[in-house]
Amino acid sequence: MANLVAIKEIKDVARKTPIEIFPDPKIAVMLTNMQNGATNAPLVSVGDSVIIGQKIADAKERISAPIHSPICGKVIKIENAYNSCFEAPTEAIFIENDGKKTKDKSLSPISESELKTTTNEVLLKIIREAGIIGLGGAGFPTHVKLAVPADKKIKVLIVNGAEGEPYDTADERLMIEKTDNLLRGVRVIRKILGNPKVIVVTKDSKVEAIPKLQATFGKEPDTEVVAKHLTYQQGDASMLQKAILGYETPSGKRSYEMGTIVQNVSTINAIANAVFEGEPLISRVTTLNGDIAKPKNYLVKIGTPISSILSANNINVTKKDSVVVAGVMMGMGLPTLDAPITKRTSSIIYFKAKKGQKSTVCIHCGRCLSACPARLQPVAIYNAVVKGDFAKAEKLSSKDCIACGTCSYVCPARVPLASNIKMAR
Amino acid sequence: MSNESSNELVVNTAPHIHGTMTKNRMMQYTFFAILAVTIVSMALWLNVKTPSGWDLGLTVAIGALIAVGIAVGVDLLIGKLASDSEVNTWSAAVFGLIVINCYTLGFPTMAVGLETGVPVEAPLAFFYIALISLIGIVVFKKVMSLAGKKFVNPAAAAKFLVLLPTLPTTLITAFHLKTGLLQVPALAGGISASSIINGNGGAAFGFYLQSCYGLPGLKSPASIESVMFLAKYHGWVGGASSIAVIIAGIALFVLARKYIKWKITLSYLISIAVLSLMFSFIYADADLTTRLFFELFIGSSIFMAFFMATDPATTPYSGVGQIIFGVGLAILTIVIQTYMNFFGGSLLALLIMNLTVPLIDRVRINKPFGR
Repeated sequence: MANLVAIKEIKDVARKTPIEIFPDPKIAVMLTNMQNGATNAPLVSVGDSVIIGQKIADAKERISAPIHSPICGKVIKIENAYNSCFEAPTEAIFIENDGKKTKDKSLSPISESELKTTTNEVLLKIIREAGIIGLGGAGFPTHVKLAVPADKKIKVLIVNGAEGEPYDTADERLMIEKTDNLLRGVRVIRKILGNPKVIVVTKDSKVEAIPKLQATFGKEPDTEVVAKHLTYQQGDASMLQKAILGYETPSGKRSYEMGTIVQNVSTINAIANAVFEGEPLISRVTTLNGDIAKPKNYLVKIGTPISSILSANNINVTKKDSVVVAGVMMGMGLPTLDAPITKRTSSIIYFKAKKGQKSTVCIHCGRCLSACPARLQPVAIYNAVVKGDFAKAEKLSSKDCIACGTCSYVCPARVPLASNIKMAR
Repeated sequence: MSNESSNELVVNTAPHIHGTMTKNRMMQYTFFAILAVTIVSMALWLNVKTPSGWDLGLTVAIGALIAVGIAVGVDLLIGKLASDSEVNTWSAAVFGLIVINCYTLGFPTMAVGLETGVPVEAPLAFFYIALISLIGIVVFKKVMSLAGKKFVNPAAAAKFLVLLPTLPTTLITAFHLKTGLLQVPALAGGISASSIINGNGGAAFGFYLQSCYGLPGLKSPASIESVMFLAKYHGWVGGASSIAVIIAGIALFVLARKYIKWKITLSYLISIAVLSLMFSFIYADADLTTRLFFELFIGSSIFMAFFMATDPATTPYSGVGQIIFGVGLAILTIVIQTYMNFFGGSLLALLIMNLTVPLIDRVRINKPFGR
């Protein structure tokens, strides 16, 4: 792993900016699907009144996660909307805010002292009903990830506080400001997984978070806080596991089969909120960064239109600009600002008059090969994909790609390697 | 990659930021590294006269202008005529510089050129340089690009093609053995650094090196080591000073770190050194440095190692592939020079190795993550 490419972080201001609560939206655009799993169907119809935390979309399948209303109000329409989870517009429930603060209480929380006596079934049920998915980007339902088969013993829980994306600081602020809540969340996961060893991992550059984590997690039994020099790519769960534990999960296997679970801090925060406060996943911390004077970290309701966040910061977006959500390396460019905040929107990055990188012909320099953290041959996979030869792409291990984007980042010819390889996956 | 028409915003695919290295920047770095080498050669050869009175340094300067001018001009012209052709001015300029640097000038003491009419002297040399540049840019850069892949190094291929008719008279040194003023012993036998004409009328190899590559007209020639390493007055323009090539080459590796295929250079030079020493033992050479310094530091070896064998388009992309390429290039070079008496045979070796690249690119030793 000696060849990992260092990518410059643009976090100096954002990481020092405390989390601010963003006002509730006038109209919340709730995508019925933000998870990586079975498709949800709306549980409400146009004209229905809904309250904060009320479940408004769900599916029957196991690998699914419901959606909840973030505000009190009325369903005004159900139609497709642009979003940052999927390339094409998908179904969304539009809710008009009536300003009331009535909360749905169907998620029955527990107290911290009750944790020991609460069964895993109950805990996993709360996590499922709260609609929690992997907030680090994967969007995989957390209750499924944590329901490890009985014959597999989890030895290590890695708390992923690496936050590799070069513009994102939401996780970092959580580690600074919500350290106690994270500890509560870790205790829940630990209870579910049969008390594995805990390794809290963060980057050496997160200087404010490190002492907080050490103070809070230091007294916890069998728990270690590791502040390491990590590159962007090592924020990926499989890469982080390799960096901390030294082994690679065999291709095609899931990390729990090797006795390790990696959980992102934002997800852990959401678990604590659900289990102890009875709050479903209706808000998240999002970083606003990029070509702006004052970067922000917002605790924002899911469904809030991104346009309202930008205009609240007096950012006048023109047709020449671009707005990227969920990280500059792996995130999506938005076609329209009407797109709402989703569970997976870890950041909003604004670029002024960003020119599209003009793609030219590959010069065969081989930089993508030496840069690939998964040791793939990006340009070979790319060539196969361009020819439509997906069988060959798969033979070249396209499925082992972690979609980190490093190949495109280093490419001197600006060949769109990463986005094409993503197609092969 | 961006679609501005139907969207409210500019939409790019991930990632949305990029590293600082671009193709153009790589080419700019390479251009200035080779330019430095060219200037050193030019300065060294200034005031050195060919038998017909042409200044060698001036020949290099004019030749460089011709080669670069034609390459850049034709690249621009094709870019204008064919709208979908990429104009790569820096790439064309680098190609032009390589053309002049891999051109063979000199023969100051041997005057073989005068006897045989080979294109080693100005003004005939300018015509050949122009032809190599033209054929190289059109056929081996532009036309091969249309085929989707460059199979052979454009400068090497063009030089080989243009000078092919003179192969037996100019390129293959065996001819010098028979007709030249100097009787040169072949490499396929014991050689020595001796300065004395040996018993059978031929010169010792060391004497050949000193008198052919050394500064003409010098009463007591410089040592073989200093001739081969510091200043040569014959052969590839780019190889006039091995030390200059090494310094410029390493500077380029450092500047364009991770983008230049230094593994080829390193594996090539190490293999050449090992093979030279092996041959020295096989043929029971009188000393170990003569063959070593010849194989390592003749212009076609040292300049090619740093600036031609590392051409990204025509070499393997994986680290392992680059090492295989470098070792293969060294083996072929030594064999061609030793048994074909084709001094400068690395040119042919490079073309052959270039053709093996698609095959080498399939070699895969690095297993993907988790496999």
